[in-house]
Amino acid sequence: MIKLTRIDDRLLHGQVAFTWTPALGVDCILVANDKVAGDEFQKMALGLAKPPGAKLLIKPITGAISFLNDPKNTHQKILVIINSIKDARALCEEVSEIRSVNFGGIRNKEGARSISKSVSVTDAEVRLIREMLDKGLELEVRQVPTESRQMLKNLI
Amino acid sequence: MITFLLITLIAVFGHSEDFLGTTLLSRPLVLGPLVGWALGDLQQGIIMGGTLELIFMGNIKVGAAIPPDVITGGVLGTAFAILSGKGIAIALALAIPISILAEMLLSGLFVFRSVFNKYFMVYAEEGNYRKVQRLHILSGLLKPLLMGLITFLALQLGSQMMKTFLDAIPHWVNAGLQVAGNMLPALGFALLMNLMFNKRVAPYFFLGFMLAAYLKLPVIAIGGLGLIIALLVTRSRPGENPQENNEEDGSENLKQMLPVKINLTNGDLRRVFTRSLLLEANFNFETWQNTGFAYAMIPVLKKLCTTKESMSRALKRHLQFFNTSPYGSTLILGITAAMEVQNSADPEFDAESINAVKSGLMGPLAGVFDSLFWGTFKVIAAGVGTSLAVKGNISGAILFLIIFNTPHLLLRYKLTFTGYKTGTKFLQNLARSHVMDKLTYGASILGLMVIGAMPATLLSIKTPLIFGTKDSGVALQGILDQIVPGLIPLGLTLLVFYFVRINMKTTYLLLGLLALGFIGSGAHVFA
Repeated sequence: MIKLTRIDDRLLHGQVAFTWTPALGVDCILVANDKVAGDEFQKMALGLAKPPGAKLLIKPITGAISFLNDPKNTHQKILVIINSIKDARALCEEVSEIRSVNFGGIRNKEGARSISKSVSVTDAEVRLIREMLDKGLELEVRQVPTESRQMLKNLI
Repeated sequence: MITFLLITLIAVFGHSEDFLGTTLLSRPLVLGPLVGWALGDLQQGIIMGGTLELIFMGNIKVGAAIPPDVITGGVLGTAFAILSGKGIAIALALAIPISILAEMLLSGLFVFRSVFNKYFMVYAEEGNYRKVQRLHILSGLLKPLLMGLITFLALQLGSQMMKTFLDAIPHWVNAGLQVAGNMLPALGFALLMNLMFNKRVAPYFFLGFMLAAYLKLPVIAIGGLGLIIALLVTRSRPGENPQENNEEDGSENLKQMLPVKINLTNGDLRRVFTRSLLLEANFNFETWQNTGFAYAMIPVLKKLCTTKESMSRALKRHLQFFNTSPYGSTLILGITAAMEVQNSADPEFDAESINAVKSGLMGPLAGVFDSLFWGTFKVIAAGVGTSLAVKGNISGAILFLIIFNTPHLLLRYKLTFTGYKTGTKFLQNLARSHVMDKLTYGASILGLMVIGAMPATLLSIKTPLIFGTKDSGVALQGILDQIVPGLIPLGLTLLVFYFVRINMKTTYLLLGLLALGFIGSGAHVFA
């Protein structure tokens, strides 16, 4: 069961290890990222931040999709983390269980504008967001679970 | 007027914490006594500070999620309550809304500060590190100055009005607030529990509770016991831990890699450490701690970058987005310093890899150090500190700072050198030896035992209910005390924790507890 799908460009860090994991009671954190999955150093660093009581999986996007669609894994309470809107859309396309995406943190970059304290998007990303909204996905912005959720459709 | 200026200075001091290494000088436990002293009632200040600390205990700063501004709220709440001769309940009633309002203002400031990023980039382009330094500090000063100004205006314009308003509050409201105020810490405890509680460590919460409720052990003793239990439980069996050998390998490898021309001295690294204390001074919502990182790296860059162009490139590199836990920041600074040395010695070195390592580490290490410091050291320090402060003992504030900052500053200092000397090898060893698993496990045992002790020692909710007639009745509280002392505080904490777990919003819980306090006091169920 997927408890939360979160976009966070720092992937696994304090807010995730320390507030989301206990709040959701997850026992499996799945980091889906092509670059990190092939980078031993990054994998090592993420391993350090793994909160106790949960296991950490790091897979490329395709690997994550087949893991999430595998009926063997439905008994696990999973927190999925990706670091971009593009990856989020790729996951949503292929994994029908994902009905909602949490926007945790996307830093400001060239050509982006900030739409909340922690989220900045480019025009190309806004198009992706609209496509996801059109598919009926719920997109919400929250850094930590105790915050109130802001709906992305009201922010763009 | 003089006292108002003094209190303003206290608020400015609290907001200067970002220049002072996030050392928790700004917590109500510390500022409360200062405000009390300024107003000639040290005792009240200590007690109010302790109580406010309890209520805001679960309010922590992780990542960029900004909690209510307890500095402004706490200082003004305490000051108004003492000035008008009202009790602790009024201090609470004022501190909560003020801190929520002040937080909105601060968020605005953090957005506004992004404007300066352009100027930072211009200065970096010029290779002018002096201007970068100056702007980091000037922009950093905006926060203490702005909040100081607001504190002063609120006192100057509001204190007379506030007194009239507070005098008009009827008695029953006061009584209700009193009971509600006693209940509010349960929310703080529940929020803390939420960070650490899982099936594996749950028994330690109840162990902490029983030690406090039945044996009446003080929090500091329970902290000590918790530490011993954590050490015993996580102790490795002989032969299980090959860490030391690895460490030697690591440093040797790194030495071979380095064709060293310039080496940084211990003095350079000490300067990096000292400057790391200003990491959060210019926090902003666009690039977060970037200017703080550049500011801390400047002593290293001054030594390595001999040309304007190399300085410019390096400054731009370190003005990129950055955010990590301040408590572990020096480890990344040390590693970055080592990479900068390599970069200056080896023309083939890929400077891009410096930022790749920085951004690869900032998230995970924030997870490690935030959990350790907010989840464990802060909890123990606040548990010990508040249990003394609510009795009016000034040593509560002092012990609080000592318990938190001794491990903080020692580790922060040492990690600068560890990062520089062993580079990322240190982390690879950590990962291989599974030390982190043990550390987080041990830390959650210790933290939960102390949290378990809190409802029993720090929540005073009693019931005045009597069974039977007034003359020959049996007091319910008397019976409870004989079976499970502290049952009501424990029950309330667990109830709030349940609601936190099902993700009810903190604001609703706050209002719910207030309502429960008022109704309970009005119906004479709780006192």
